[in-house]
Amino acid sequence: MQAATVVENPMRAGMRLERTAEPCAVVIFGASGDLAKRKLIPALYRLVQEHLLPAEFAIIGLGRTAMTDEEFRDKMKASVVEFSEAKSVDEEVWQSFAGGMQFLPSNIDQPECYGELAKLLEQVDKEHGTQGNRLFYLSVAPEFYAEAVRQLGEAGLTKQDKGWVRVIIEKPFGTSLDSARELNQQILRYLDESQIYRIDHYLGKETVQNLLVFRFANGIYEPLWNRQYIDHVQITNAETVGVEGRGGYYEKSGVVRDMIQNHVFQVLSIVAMEPPASLSSEDVRDEKIKAMHSARAFTPERVAAECVRGQYGAGSIGGKPVPGYREEQGVAPDSTTETFAMVTMWFDNWRWSGVPFYIRSGKRLAKRVTEIAIQFRQVPHQLFGAAAMEQVSPNQLVIRIQPDEGITMRVAAKVPGQVTRIRDVNMDFRYGASFGVQLAEAYERLILDCILGDSTLYARKDMTERGWEIVMPILDYWAARKSEADFPNYEAGSWGPEESFHILEQQGRHWRRP
Amino acid sequence: MWAEMSASKGDGQAAGVVRACVLNLVVYVAGKEECPEVNDLLEDVVERHPCRAVLLVVNRAATEPRLEAFVSTRCQLSAPAAKRICGEQITIEADGPVVDTASTAVTPLLVPDVPVFLWWKDIPHYEDKLFDRLAEMSDRVVIDSASFDHPHKDMLRLAEILKEGNLRVSDLNWGRLTSWRSLVASFWDVADYRQSLAQIERVAIEYDPPDASHDEIAPKALLALGWIASCLGWEVLADDSSLEAGRAHFKLSDGGREIEAVLAATDDVAGRDGMITSLTLRTAAGDEFFVVLRHNEGKLETGARLGGDGQKVGRVLAYEARSEGQRLSAELDILSRDEVFESAAEVAARMLSSVAV
Repeated sequence: MQAATVVENPMRAGMRLERTAEPCAVVIFGASGDLAKRKLIPALYRLVQEHLLPAEFAIIGLGRTAMTDEEFRDKMKASVVEFSEAKSVDEEVWQSFAGGMQFLPSNIDQPECYGELAKLLEQVDKEHGTQGNRLFYLSVAPEFYAEAVRQLGEAGLTKQDKGWVRVIIEKPFGTSLDSARELNQQILRYLDESQIYRIDHYLGKETVQNLLVFRFANGIYEPLWNRQYIDHVQITNAETVGVEGRGGYYEKSGVVRDMIQNHVFQVLSIVAMEPPASLSSEDVRDEKIKAMHSARAFTPERVAAECVRGQYGAGSIGGKPVPGYREEQGVAPDSTTETFAMVTMWFDNWRWSGVPFYIRSGKRLAKRVTEIAIQFRQVPHQLFGAAAMEQVSPNQLVIRIQPDEGITMRVAAKVPGQVTRIRDVNMDFRYGASFGVQLAEAYERLILDCILGDSTLYARKDMTERGWEIVMPILDYWAARKSEADFPNYEAGSWGPEESFHILEQQGRHWRRP
Repeated sequence: MWAEMSASKGDGQAAGVVRACVLNLVVYVAGKEECPEVNDLLEDVVERHPCRAVLLVVNRAATEPRLEAFVSTRCQLSAPAAKRICGEQITIEADGPVVDTASTAVTPLLVPDVPVFLWWKDIPHYEDKLFDRLAEMSDRVVIDSASFDHPHKDMLRLAEILKEGNLRVSDLNWGRLTSWRSLVASFWDVADYRQSLAQIERVAIEYDPPDASHDEIAPKALLALGWIASCLGWEVLADDSSLEAGRAHFKLSDGGREIEAVLAATDDVAGRDGMITSLTLRTAAGDEFFVVLRHNEGKLETGARLGGDGQKVGRVLAYEARSEGQRLSAELDILSRDEVFESAAEVAARMLSSVAV
């Protein structure tokens, strides 16, 4: 995962510095959109501030809105002020950064737009020394992904004869197995897999990356990381927000499509994978897909018995009343779209045979939290007697991905006193407390990785398709039984439908309260 | 102390106390007047490295022997109502004849199994008994070459110590060069420019004269040139080098090709003690790569003018905004030898030897 430049540039030898990137032009499709404003431009500016991007760097924004370069720069400057931590920009540094920023008003389904883009890129290469390296960031509606790549291909812009060409594709990647396969086929006509960077911003999070370090750089956990010692695994991905005006999009999507098949599965595969041969992007992704291949298929019986769908009704969040899903803007009054899902996964392999992975994800839940809880087995013999042990649960290792990224280990300890009473105590590690550093935004890390040509934290073709392959039987089963959905079945501000608790209780387990 | 802290509910904000220690930091200061500055710096250090700090305040001039110790806690509160992360600070005051043996008061106080760092906040006297004993028990010694009162002599001595190989040394002044090195190196991250590295024929570094010794070359400038020369494998030629007040000329060689290096003092500006103000590398073809630092505005301006088509690239960046405490903190991240620093110091010493300091 190191930049090639470190080795080739003698001045970089032994330097204790972060990686730096090669010259390149970043072309943002959908530059007047929300993502560019909130995430991409602030991330690029921060990379410049941290001296991680070279001087030979330029940004070309593409969008339907007619804007001059100057207007585009002003708009982006306002968004950096609004959406970055700093809340202000240094005028001189900004001017230096914005000097390489241009806007091309364009309709991205028109071939002329690509001719103009090609010319502009040539010019940028000359003026800014970007050396023919291009990063196309497709931050547009999903229906334009294939079209944009086709047009880029037809215009000869995907060829890597002068420098490298990479394309970042935002989520969602397809809406079903068939559409994901088709999209992959369409873009692979013009691009090589090594040029495609399918973004999953969960993988840019520090704790997700730390999962690899935690598992494979600590000698004490990996021997326990299997069916012998682990009773079950819980993954909770809870949001307090509703659909936030995106009701129209969410109606076609639902939580399984929106969160589980991509983000949650990425995290899940890192928990379940075998140690990779190396940290190269291919080796890591090979092990992740291998784990997902051993995920047991969902039959109708399994969906009925081990999965739960839910939709929130009116309730309250943080003491304030909030409407139910069906009352949200753009949502049908009889909608059967799921805003909550709980699925039970089994990995039929040597490591995980018999260990259930319970996954729940939903909107308008009690607390915003994403965490992985590894529940270890109970001690084989109750040495201390029932009374002493009444407040004790089996050891649990909790890896929090957001917020307050960190790791907690629950262990049993004696309560001081003349009688033996045992209580759970937590050993807590928080990123904020131990390193006292502000964690980089996921987008900063991911964009930098793409410029450096490191695709470890991006989803590969096989993974996107496998994710869909796993969830399709669930989606099909629920789609065929729309009328049976007893929605709404959970109150906004709760932890989801009762049924999701029953499934665990039937097996003698219970959901942890995050 | 810890029991009291756990029991106290404080102002209701403290939801509890977490005692943490990732390293031992022994700080040597010569005189009480340094303590407020050190205490401020330690604030930044414990934020990143909850640790046990042993502050050794020495008064060598005293005639009466005295050894006293005080203990206190250092806490950081990451968020309201969050747990406080705390470490301890032990202050030892040693006066007069007991100074030499004060290390024996430090040893029992070190937390086992975590590394020991010695921050020698003074000009290092390598022959000093206390320095010797404290350095021996430490995994790494942190010094600051900006505090050298005789930069030339002290730099030569530092290079000797590094060559002996018994100490792992961090130099805070070298840490201050990090932004510079990163920006200079970044020119050659671009493969197309890399061939020009073999054509550099002149290096010019301007620096603010050191306050302690105006006529001597600032250690930072020496280290910067030492770093460039060691990275590029340049030899120091003994002939034709010269040294006068505030200006040094060195001849270097890259496999027979001669390179001229000029280190020149600028006008003395208050608050810029020994800092580099500009660094320029020039090739035979007339290409220029330069980094200009403007300390007063906290900005770095970089630029390259390329020979062939006269293309010019450049930008303005904010200087890496780090407090001295954060810089010290960064040094505590590293336990291994810093070979690049050692090579830079060695070449700097060879250049000084070539002009017979």
